[in-house]
Amino acid sequence: MILVNADVNNYLLYIDKITKTYGYGLLGLRRFKALDEVTLALPLQEPEILVLIGETGSGKTTLLKIVLRIVTPDAGSVYYKGKDIFKLRSSEVRWYRREVQAIFQDPYETFNPLRTVDGYLFDTAKHLLGLDRKEAEALIDETLNFVGLSLSRVKGKKIKEFSGGELQRVSIARAILTKPRLLLADEPVSMLDASLRVNILNIFREMKKKLGLSIIYVTHDLATAYYVGDEMAVLYRGVLVETGSAEDLYKEPLHPYTQLLMNSILEPDIGVKNRIRPIKLSSIEIKEFIAPGCKFASRCPYATPRCHKEIPPTITVDNRRYVRCWLYAK
Amino acid sequence: MAKTQIGNEAILKVIDLDAGYAIKHKNKLVKFVHAVDNVSLEIRPNRITGIAGESGCGKSTLAKVIYGAIEPPLEVKRGSVLLKISDEYKDLLKMSRAYISRNIWWKFISYIPQNSMNVLNPMKRIKSIFTEISKFHGLEVDEEDVVKYIKEMFKAFGIPAEAINAYPHQLSGGMRQRVVIALALMFNPSVVIADEPTTAVDVVTQLGILTALKEWQKEKKTTMIIISHDMGVHAYMDDDIAVMYAGNIVEKGSVEDVFEEPLHPYTKLLISSLIRKGEKEFKWGISGSPPDLSNPPPGCRFHPRCPYAMERCRREKPPITTIDKDRIVSCWLYEKG
Repeated sequence: MILVNADVNNYLLYIDKITKTYGYGLLGLRRFKALDEVTLALPLQEPEILVLIGETGSGKTTLLKIVLRIVTPDAGSVYYKGKDIFKLRSSEVRWYRREVQAIFQDPYETFNPLRTVDGYLFDTAKHLLGLDRKEAEALIDETLNFVGLSLSRVKGKKIKEFSGGELQRVSIARAILTKPRLLLADEPVSMLDASLRVNILNIFREMKKKLGLSIIYVTHDLATAYYVGDEMAVLYRGVLVETGSAEDLYKEPLHPYTQLLMNSILEPDIGVKNRIRPIKLSSIEIKEFIAPGCKFASRCPYATPRCHKEIPPTITVDNRRYVRCWLYAK
Repeated sequence: MAKTQIGNEAILKVIDLDAGYAIKHKNKLVKFVHAVDNVSLEIRPNRITGIAGESGCGKSTLAKVIYGAIEPPLEVKRGSVLLKISDEYKDLLKMSRAYISRNIWWKFISYIPQNSMNVLNPMKRIKSIFTEISKFHGLEVDEEDVVKYIKEMFKAFGIPAEAINAYPHQLSGGMRQRVVIALALMFNPSVVIADEPTTAVDVVTQLGILTALKEWQKEKKTTMIIISHDMGVHAYMDDDIAVMYAGNIVEKGSVEDVFEEPLHPYTKLLISSLIRKGEKEFKWGISGSPPDLSNPPPGCRFHPRCPYAMERCRREKPPITTIDKDRIVSCWLYEKG
C-alpha cells in the first residue's frame, strides 16, 4: 500500500519512502538507486501476508535487509509498531529481534554444515528468550511439531541428513521460536522441489491463522503468491510498479510487467505449449536501473517515447490499488 | 567396440542399467546407494525427452551415466548405453575416458549443467572461453568464426553483445546460464542433456531460456533430454516423458498421454501438487520424501507414500506393464490377472 501522511502508530510495519543507492562503475563512483522511495505497510490489528513480487535485481532483498537492520537506507525510515527501527535503544534491539524474524532461500546455506541443526534452536531459545535447557526443550519440541517435525527427529543431526523440505521446516521453526509478530521470508520455496512447495506454503497459512503472524513473503512466482497472499506489491528495478489486494492483482494485472510475470508461469498441462508467447529477455540490469523514464520501458510491448523519457506517476486505481504506468495516466 | 544391429529409431539406448554410489571406508564397501536400478530407456531422435521426479530419485545419476561422466564413487554395475554414431550403435560404457572426452563430449553429446558458476573459468573473458574450447577439440577455426557464432547465439538467447568481453562474475546468474547453454551447443551436438537448466532462475528468465532451447532444438533437429522436478517445465518442453521414482522408471509415454491421463499414483501426485494460477483452495502436496536408496523399501518403492497401496504392493515389486505402444507403467493397479 502506498499511503499518504498516515499515522505510523496504526501499523505493524510502516516502510516510509525508503531509498537506497549503491555504487557502480569505476571505483563505484557512479550511483544507482536499488530502491527508489518504496512505501509499504502492514496493518497492526489483523495478521496479513504481504507478497513482495520481484525478480533478481528488483531490490527485494535489499528491502528485507533494511527491515532486518542489516543495511541502512540513504533516505526514508522504517517504523515497527510506531518505533523507528534505526533509532532503537539497545534493550529495544533485543525486543525487535524477537518480534521480527527471517527465513532465507537456501536452507543448506542457512546452517553451518559442521554444527548440529538443533544447536541453532537452543541458541535462539537461550540468547533471545533466556530459557534454561529444560524449558527450551519443551518449547523447541512444541515448535517443531507445529511444522511437522519433532525434537527427537532433529536432535544431533547435521544438514546433510535432512532433505531440503525438512531443513526449510527447521529454519521456519527456528524463526517462530521467539513467537515473532512479523516473519520475513526471502524466496523460501524456490530451492525446493516444485511438488513440495505447497506443503511449506501451507505452514505459512497456518502460522497466520493460528499464531497471528504477519508475513512478508518474497517471490517471483505469481501462482504461489496468490495461493498464500492477501496483498501484493510488485517491485521492478527498485520501483514499486503495482500494489493491491491479491485478488485484484490476479484477476486484472494492470502493469505490463505484472502481466509478463503472470504469462510466464508454466503450468502442468500440455495446453501451456500453445498459450505461451516468446518474450524479450532483460538486457544488462544497470542500464535499466539508471534509465531516465520507466525502468521497464526497454522490455515493454506498449512502450511509447514518453515512457523512455519521463518517470510514470503513481496512479490510484481505487483506495487500495496503485499502478505506476503511463498507460493509465489521464 | 561392440557393434549391434541398427534399430530404425532410437539415437540413444539405455539397456538394463544399474548404477549407484559405492561408499567405502578403508577400502571396504560400507553401503551402495542404488540410484539407478534396472533402467531401460530409448531416446528418439529430433525429440525432447523429459526425465521427471523429485530430488533424490536418481535423475541426475542417470544423466551422468548417459553422459559417460563416471567417476568414483559413481559405479556402473550392469547395463549399457548405446549411442548411434554414423549409423551404428556403440557402447559408451566400453569407451576409454580419453576417447570420450576428445570425440564424444561436445561433438556428439553435450551437457548443460545446473550451476553455471562452476563451469566458467573466472579468470577468463567469455570470448576466450569459447576460443579455447574450440582449440581443445582440434577445430581449425579462426577467432572471427568464433565471434560470429557467439554473436548469433547471444542474439538467440537474449544476451547483450557486450557480454563477449565480460568476465563471468560481471554477468547475472540468468545471463551466465545462457552463456553456458550457448557454449554447450557450440559444436551442434546430436544429443543435448540439460540437467535442471532453469532451477533457481526467475520465471521470466526461465521461460526465455526454455523457449530459446526449444526453438534451437526444432531448428537444428537435435535430440534433447531435459531433467527437471517441475512438471510445468515438462509440460512446456517435452515430447516424451519418463517419470523416475527411487531409481526406477515408474511411467513413460508421450507427454500428451501422460499429462492427459497420468497412470502411476506418483505421476498423479507430481502433477496435482503444483500450485496453478488462481488456486487458493487449501491443498496438500506429496507427503514424506523419497526413500534411502541404499536401503529401499521392499515391494513397490512408492508404497509408503502411495494413497492406493495394497497388501501386494508392500511385498512384491510391480512389473513393467505395457499399456500402449510407447506407454508403460510400473504399478500393480494396472497389472491384469
